[in-house]
Amino acid sequence: MEVKDIVDLKTIKTDLSAKNKEEALQELAEVLLKNEYISDVEVFLEDIYAREAVGQTGIGNYIAIPHGNSEAVNKIGVAIGITQEEIPWETLDGNGVKGIILFAVGKENDGAQTHLKLLSLFARKLGNDEVIEKMLQSKNASDVQEALCN
Amino acid sequence: MKIVGVAACTVGIAHTYIAQEKLENAGKKAGHEISVETQGTIGTESELTQEQIAEADIVIIAADVKIAGRERFEGKRIIQVTTEIAVKSPNKLIEKAVEVVNQKN
Repeated sequence: MEVKDIVDLKTIKTDLSAKNKEEALQELAEVLLKNEYISDVEVFLEDIYAREAVGQTGIGNYIAIPHGNSEAVNKIGVAIGITQEEIPWETLDGNGVKGIILFAVGKENDGAQTHLKLLSLFARKLGNDEVIEKMLQSKNASDVQEALCN
Repeated sequence: MKIVGVAACTVGIAHTYIAQEKLENAGKKAGHEISVETQGTIGTESELTQEQIAEADIVIIAADVKIAGRERFEGKRIIQVTTEIAVKSPNKLIEKAVEVVNQKN
């Protein structure tokens, strides 16, 4: 397995219509539900907001990484959304965000070591400015996957 | 200069690894040897060796939680920050590390 296996084309939306954080999280959680990564949007988002309350998930460079451990998660994965316009978010550099990467991770992760490892490698990519720049210019899901996985 | 570090965030899924990547990139870019251990949901990875720790001029701990094995760094110069600082200003943090090491000499 490789990082590419974590970045599911079906959970990437390059045309996110959200105008704010709540809409973005709702939209991406619904994508995760539709693709069976999570079993319940409401329960999942409650856990995501619990992490939001602890500290900023906007890491600068127009990227936010909402995440958390939730019982509503069936399998580890990420939903990625890109917006045309900057949306307001609590961020380290004071700018808004255009790329939102929503992490879905369960509370119990027995037997999920491989996926957790891939997720950590994926997270590292987000610390790379060139990767992020390329990702934000993506026109479609394949572009996003390519930016993050090469 | 030789730098070792540890990154650990509250959930252990995202900031830990982003901080690792940013610190290692910033360190290398400034011409240093740097190695950052991660303590996350998956456990400890890129674990620092005794040799790496012994040779290090300084230790950068970027953590939001208590890290495991802090005693390994006893007697060494340590800079402790949150993962947010490492993610937000990795270059400044490396500069600060150099400053601290130079003060010592």
